[in-house]
Amino acid sequence: MKGAWAIAKKELRSYFLAPLAYVVITAFLLLNGFFFYAILAVLSQPGASSTSPMSLLFGGTVFFWIFLIVTVPVITMRLGAEELKSGTVETLLTAPVTDLEVVLGKFLGALFLYVAAWLPTGLYVWAVSLYSEVDPGPVLGGYLGTVLVGLLFLSVGIFTTFVSKNQVVAAILAFALLLLLLLLSLISYIITDPFWKEVFSYMDLYAAMQGFSRGMVDSRPVLYCLSGAAFFLALAYQALQARRWR
Amino acid sequence: MAGSVEDPMIEVRDLTRRFGQTEAVSHLHFRIEKGDIVGFLGPNGAGKTTTLRMITGFLPPTEGDVVVGGLSSQEDGKAVRRQIGYLPENNPLYEDLRVREYLAFRAELKGVPRRLRARRIGEVLEACDALEVRDRIIGACSRGFRQRVGIADALLADPPVLILDEPTVGLDPAQIAQTRTLIKGLSADHTVLLSTHILPEVEAICSRALILHRGRLLFDGSVEGLRKGLSGGHLTCTVRAPRAEAEACLAEIPGVIRVRTVAESGGETRLELETDPASDVREAIVRACSLRGLTLLELAARQISLEEAFLSITTDEAAGEVEP
Repeated sequence: MKGAWAIAKKELRSYFLAPLAYVVITAFLLLNGFFFYAILAVLSQPGASSTSPMSLLFGGTVFFWIFLIVTVPVITMRLGAEELKSGTVETLLTAPVTDLEVVLGKFLGALFLYVAAWLPTGLYVWAVSLYSEVDPGPVLGGYLGTVLVGLLFLSVGIFTTFVSKNQVVAAILAFALLLLLLLLSLISYIITDPFWKEVFSYMDLYAAMQGFSRGMVDSRPVLYCLSGAAFFLALAYQALQARRWR
Repeated sequence: MAGSVEDPMIEVRDLTRRFGQTEAVSHLHFRIEKGDIVGFLGPNGAGKTTTLRMITGFLPPTEGDVVVGGLSSQEDGKAVRRQIGYLPENNPLYEDLRVREYLAFRAELKGVPRRLRARRIGEVLEACDALEVRDRIIGACSRGFRQRVGIADALLADPPVLILDEPTVGLDPAQIAQTRTLIKGLSADHTVLLSTHILPEVEAICSRALILHRGRLLFDGSVEGLRKGLSGGHLTCTVRAPRAEAEACLAEIPGVIRVRTVAESGGETRLELETDPASDVREAIVRACSLRGLTLLELAARQISLEEAFLSITTDEAAGEVEP
């Protein structure tokens, strides 16, 4: 797995060399910051509910998901598509690394940037702690859920970027698949058959994040996110292997 | 299975690759001994790059196998790739990295120990005469420097085998000469397989040539042998006679396959003859001319260049395929 580590470090370096990392992080923080300000403003109005602001930040509203399904494809779209387009995939795959190391390295590189984008939001927690008591449970749960959902979403992006040589196509495909994953969350509310209702409730990311941001860590969404990530990384690996036969 | 001294460095066994219906490479067999510099020749689309990609493990073969240093590329892909330094066609590089950053990444990827990396990068850049672009962004390097960075990368982990796909393409004459000298210098402790469609390149650096055409091996032997095998059968002669008469006279000599007039001036005709390499027709030419009362002014064996040899081999093959 040394190869994967080398690739992850190189990807992180490339993110910060190209302005992409700065653009993504700046846009993400500006929007998330404004969003957080709005949450605080609403909650401080007289008669507002006593919801914790952190639980609204993490998955409590639709904005959290909009940010994710836009940010993730932008982070991942370049990783495979550019290698395929510029031909550098040839130098990469003829180095003594396995295809699996390549996929995992790219995934890890994307995860670094994703975490880097979220890290500054720790300041929000600090800001809130200046004026009121902060319950550590929802904060830690919220970050854990954000990372878990991130693993799942980033693996989808890694898959699509190894499918197409074109970055835009890879990003749109990732966006569509992520939207589909979110729509799966709704199915359990529509369906009446108790068995299928149960099955689809496992895929309810929305409910999962609400749980995490209340400080409740349920093993079912943890398993769903991790196995989902493994599934899409396996697909990415297959897509890369299939490239060799064309 | 460990490679002994007698084992070839690279052995290609019955290598075939199909893309859909097209057979890009068809049942190739060849061996490359340790320390050889082999030129891999062929027109564009002959299957050179596909073959090199199969040797380096980038493409899996449809049939057959490649054995490098005693290890099968199918079964021990990673170990085989560790033994090969590869410069792909068009030399793809990460445009946004600096040269030293790129080489540091490649060194880590190739498993060069951390404490040796900086020294090794300095060594290969020096060997390729590219130390001055060390801190430059690759996207801002000239083609010549990019090529040198690509070769430096191939040398980075000091692999026993170097595979260079068109290493001098797009370089200016001075850079070409420099690159050739560099490659020749590497032959002391490396086995080199380089593809090209420039014949003088093979004449200048290689000891052996493989000619590939439409995915099949047409020639496998020494560069000397390639030229010798084809220099028989080509003559030049000048006759004091009008063109028609000279051609008629020479064409009917048994053993003469083709007669072509090169120049005609002042009653002299200069002709090139293609003759059956198995028979010596020089005496017959002298006799035929005197019999017709024509004066033979010049008769010489023509040394053909590898260019012509190559064209003759590949076009003969193409012509042969059309006829049933």
